[in-house]
Amino acid sequence: MDKKLGFLAFGVLFGFALSRVGASEYDLIVGMFIGQDYTLVGVMVTAIIVGALGMQVLKKFAQPVKSGEPLKVSYKELKKWSIPGGLIFGFGWGITGACPGTVLAQIGEGKIFGLFTFAGMIFGTYIYARLKEKQPDL
Amino acid sequence: MFILRSIFVDPWPFWAGGIIIGLLVPLLYYYFNTALGVSTGYGNLVKIFLPAKNLQWIKTKYAETFSWRVYFIIGIILGGLLSAILSGNLGITTEMGRFTAIAGWPGVLNAVFFFVGGILLGLGARIAGGCTSGHSIHGIANLHISSILATIFFIIGGIITANIVRSLFLGGAW
Repeated sequence: MDKKLGFLAFGVLFGFALSRVGASEYDLIVGMFIGQDYTLVGVMVTAIIVGALGMQVLKKFAQPVKSGEPLKVSYKELKKWSIPGGLIFGFGWGITGACPGTVLAQIGEGKIFGLFTFAGMIFGTYIYARLKEKQPDL
Repeated sequence: MFILRSIFVDPWPFWAGGIIIGLLVPLLYYYFNTALGVSTGYGNLVKIFLPAKNLQWIKTKYAETFSWRVYFIIGIILGGLLSAILSGNLGITTEMGRFTAIAGWPGVLNAVFFFVGGILLGLGARIAGGCTSGHSIHGIANLHISSILATIFFIIGGIITANIVRSLFLGGAW
């Protein structure tokens, strides 16, 4: 399968699932943070369990990767900035009621303010790129 | 057609979404030996939309501008669109749940509010090395310490600002 087309197809599936389960709803994300609605906690916990079991099954395969190359699980190393970075991300999550994936589903659904969250995310990533020029270990 | 209605029209139960999203983790490894993750692709968007070609990080990490990450992002948008079309909810709307319903701000202020929140999401995701999909789902499913820690602080941050917004702008209602 061509990687670009494959990711386009899996992206459609991902966006469809996010939208159907309500992850693109401001009320469900913010509702989780203020203790009113735990639907998305259920979604995330289920996804983590299914993902973890799926990875264990995959590792039992004679050929875990279709092409035959060895499975290479990407690991994000722990940096001194991981915790402040996590907090900053969380602040944005609680304000917008969206994250980098769900905002895309919001845009597809026609939510205008999702476009502003999206534009802010691109700009925030740009700020990171500028900061990293001066602070290479960021 | 009950089954079609359950898939395409009615909202899914949490476990159905969780299963599909969770399965993406091993499936993307099986087909492409690649980790599930969305936020890294915003670097491609920076390269596409902003004058950033000379920044070292963009130059080294985003050699291919229209990489598979951009296709994944486009796919997610199309998935949201498809969901809205099939369930009959398609329509351009300036609503954003209880925020726009209760706060009652003019549109320009709403735009600034979501833009500022978006900046924090983009900046924080890069500093933390991932977002809800890359860290919280992919990373925890692989029991990565950095992902567990990042997710704990994602949630702490979300609880803080959501409650501040609720008491300052939503009158503590809801």
